[in-house]
Amino acid sequence: MSAHKPQPVAPAKPKCFGWLAEFDNEHDLMTAARKVRDSGYTKTDAYTPFAVHGIDEALGIKPTILPFIVLSFAFCGLFLAIGFQCWSNGYDYKYIISGKPFLSIPAFIPVTFETTVLFSTVSTFFAMWLLNRLPTYSNPLFANPKFDRVTQDRFFLHVDSRDKYYNRESVRELLSSTNPLSLEEVIEDSTPDKLPTVVWMGVATLIVGSLVPLTIVANMRAGKSELPRWHVFFDMDFQPKKKAQSISTLFTDNRSNRPQVEGTIARGQLVEQDPYYLGFDPSKQSSIEIPSAVKLVSAQDDPKADPKVESPKAPKLEGPVEDTKPAAESTEKPEAPSKEPVKVDKEKPAGKKKDTSKKAKAEPKGDDVKTADKPVEVKADGKKTVAEEKNPTATEEKKADAKKADAKKADAKKEEPAKDAPASSTKPADKAAPPTAVAPAAAGPNLPWLTDFPAEVSEEMLALGKAKFEITCSVCHGYAGAGDGLVHRRAEQLQQGYWLPPTSLHEQRIQDQAVGNLFYTISNGKGKMASYAAVLTPKERWAIVMYVRALQRSRNAKIEDVPVDQRAKLEEVKKAD
Amino acid sequence: MTSQQIDSESIRLPQAWQGKAWLLLAVGLALVLASGFVFMVSGLEVRKIFWHSYLANFMYCMTFGIAAMFFVLISFLTRAGWNASIRRWAEIISMTIPWMGLLFIPILGLVITGQGLSLYEWNTTPQALVENHQPVVAEKVIYLNGTAFAIRAVICLVAWSAIVSYYYSLSRREDETGDVNLAIKRQLYSGPLVMFFALSVSMASFDWIMSLDGDWYSTAFGVYIFSGSMFGFFGLMIASLMTLQSHGKLNKYVNVEHFHDLSKFQFGFTMFWSYIAFSQMMLIWYANIPEETAWFKNRLVNGWEYLSYASIPIHFVIPFLGMMSHHVRRHRWGAFFFACWALVAHWLDITFMVMPNAGPVSAPLVIGHVLCGFGMFSIFCAMILQRAADVPLVALKDPRLPEGLSYANPIL
Repeated sequence: MSAHKPQPVAPAKPKCFGWLAEFDNEHDLMTAARKVRDSGYTKTDAYTPFAVHGIDEALGIKPTILPFIVLSFAFCGLFLAIGFQCWSNGYDYKYIISGKPFLSIPAFIPVTFETTVLFSTVSTFFAMWLLNRLPTYSNPLFANPKFDRVTQDRFFLHVDSRDKYYNRESVRELLSSTNPLSLEEVIEDSTPDKLPTVVWMGVATLIVGSLVPLTIVANMRAGKSELPRWHVFFDMDFQPKKKAQSISTLFTDNRSNRPQVEGTIARGQLVEQDPYYLGFDPSKQSSIEIPSAVKLVSAQDDPKADPKVESPKAPKLEGPVEDTKPAAESTEKPEAPSKEPVKVDKEKPAGKKKDTSKKAKAEPKGDDVKTADKPVEVKADGKKTVAEEKNPTATEEKKADAKKADAKKADAKKEEPAKDAPASSTKPADKAAPPTAVAPAAAGPNLPWLTDFPAEVSEEMLALGKAKFEITCSVCHGYAGAGDGLVHRRAEQLQQGYWLPPTSLHEQRIQDQAVGNLFYTISNGKGKMASYAAVLTPKERWAIVMYVRALQRSRNAKIEDVPVDQRAKLEEVKKAD
Repeated sequence: MTSQQIDSESIRLPQAWQGKAWLLLAVGLALVLASGFVFMVSGLEVRKIFWHSYLANFMYCMTFGIAAMFFVLISFLTRAGWNASIRRWAEIISMTIPWMGLLFIPILGLVITGQGLSLYEWNTTPQALVENHQPVVAEKVIYLNGTAFAIRAVICLVAWSAIVSYYYSLSRREDETGDVNLAIKRQLYSGPLVMFFALSVSMASFDWIMSLDGDWYSTAFGVYIFSGSMFGFFGLMIASLMTLQSHGKLNKYVNVEHFHDLSKFQFGFTMFWSYIAFSQMMLIWYANIPEETAWFKNRLVNGWEYLSYASIPIHFVIPFLGMMSHHVRRHRWGAFFFACWALVAHWLDITFMVMPNAGPVSAPLVIGHVLCGFGMFSIFCAMILQRAADVPLVALKDPRLPEGLSYANPIL
């Protein structure tokens, strides 16, 4: 203490921050703290090596307002989270999640809970900073070397000079009456509080230096340069590799990428080539698609037939009044769009196309026409039967239309191939109009279907098929495959006009389909039915096809199909009926 | 210590309560029988409703004992000192388990003889279950059958009785010898026993309450029962200790700090119960699987929806917000109010779990169930009084008693 005494005499008088009393146990500290508290001082603090229970009460520290801060932030978090979720999912961006209502409070609770906890903890953390006046980089107490022992075995009590009742002498007297080990005045930290030049120069250099690369980048992005670009990572820009379609001197054919070796299947492509995964045999695909290819090519290769077909029909499109047969108008109209591309193609030289279909062209043309013709007639009939149910007058018109088509065929044979395309194009338009009467000819793609099961037909597979059918298919198609599943029944109940009923698996056209076609339908979906490839493994899909076949057979079974010992039972049932 | 001799009277049961156990028992039995009478007169399905009500109220009282056992075990596991002066009272509550086990015998008898169909829907033949369109329950008969149920119940009841008796007897021996080794021994066994406790309470909860719905299952159910039990138990501790103090007992051994701590636990278990109950509900609601949602569906029809929705404020919002401030928890009447609140809330919680299986809400059902509740609680109190009749209510020679008496909560 005496060492400090000369200092007040000095011209630059160091600032005082009150008195610091030192104790060697917490009981003395507590006694002293109570005494100071009772004397009315409030700007006091105790420093101890460990938490001392009751010190708050001894110092007269008021209960903290921290809980109220935390509580108010918790409520903020609560209402913010619940409000935001309600607003976003209930009003602003309605999105169906797991089929729950837009405003589903239970789903919002976990996020609300977490947000409440988050707001509470973060507000606690920062409120603690604020209330403890952190960060404080230095404290005048640190100037006293005795204070170092506060983290070991000494207890200190500090009365701050900024207390409104502070009086230097009376505080000194009060504290000395508590018998401290030592009592010293806290003086201002005399060490310079300016940053050393090296430190701030270094920081400034770093900050300025960090702008250099930014400036270069900004300059380069804004300006133009004749120089080649910088390759920062050279081996990333120029890798030793051959890109697709580039020339290689390594192989005799000069191709850098190698063709697939004959008779092999690349890894991961089995699914695209094996009939088991497709329902059809891709290797036979080329043979089956020839007729349609021929049809298309022959349509394009007929420059003479084209103007004849076009010229009488063109005015029909524009002016229905001039038309001699206005009744046919409705059916003729859809032909127009599909005609257009055909016409455009014809303007191109056909030579290139001839190369590709030379074999097809080599066959006698008459045969081609005939084979291509057949579907047209069939379709015309099919159209008729469909339409008849709906509107008899329309049927009459269509009959006339069909007759007209026949007449034209007789007039100019060369015209016929061109007619194929329009005739087939009218079909989807007709189909779309009456949703209840689905054209039975909607057979889907014409592919070389598998007609035999690629999987082993066994009791086990059938059981698997039954199980999977009842899980996956029966909701729409019904347990017996009659197209009367629960979803369908519910839709009927709701009387949804746009509901397309699921297909009965006992329809003749389904019975006629090859097993591969059924498999294909399950794998790729059809119409409103989605693909089930993600839900069912190929094995399960084949099992379902088996089960569907069994269901179909069960509807058409004869008494001979029933095991001998079971027949008597059936007879009994028959009699009972 | 001479002060102890002076206080010897203050750690005894009040004179007026001595010998009242048999009276309470008689009143309790009469009330339980009266509830059966109410059900019978009302023309309801008397067997079904009576046994459901009986089971619910049995579980209500049983869970206090179970929670008290956990409280004692966890005190030794954590070597807690703060509760040294109130642990004896928890031990006395836990010692109701052996006697409560006797009250389970009627249910066991029903189940073993296959007459328990009015209570447990699995308590019949697999054939009958299949015919009754309960194939899922029929698959469970390997586990859920009368014999296995009885074996598991007996294992639980005997093991719990053994645990609480052992801890109680060591505690009593300590009263005479003051041997520190007795406390060390109890610390040693507390770890494995807490693990056994967790498994056995889950098992008992599944068997006794969850299997009322044979279809339904929830792996959180054991924790759900446990959290609610602890909430109710701390309420019982506060309410009963305060009642003893109002008769001039224990005033030097139980102070505001103990009540504050018990109340804090009660507050914490409000939140824990809500967390568990909501997690269980939300997962089932979100997954939306018919055999799981059916349990909640049953609780949202036939008048039970009022109880279901009311349990949100009763078991969570009101106690949570009400007990949040330490001013309430340290306030004598504040703490007492929420302690009694917890006793009612826990009873409603158990009712919510059991009673919707008995049928729709109706006046006779409610009246009979409340009567049965009061009766069962009277029997439970009689057990406590009988056990505490000639026992000091504070373990005076407990090595941690000085710590327990001197501890003060820092109020910041």
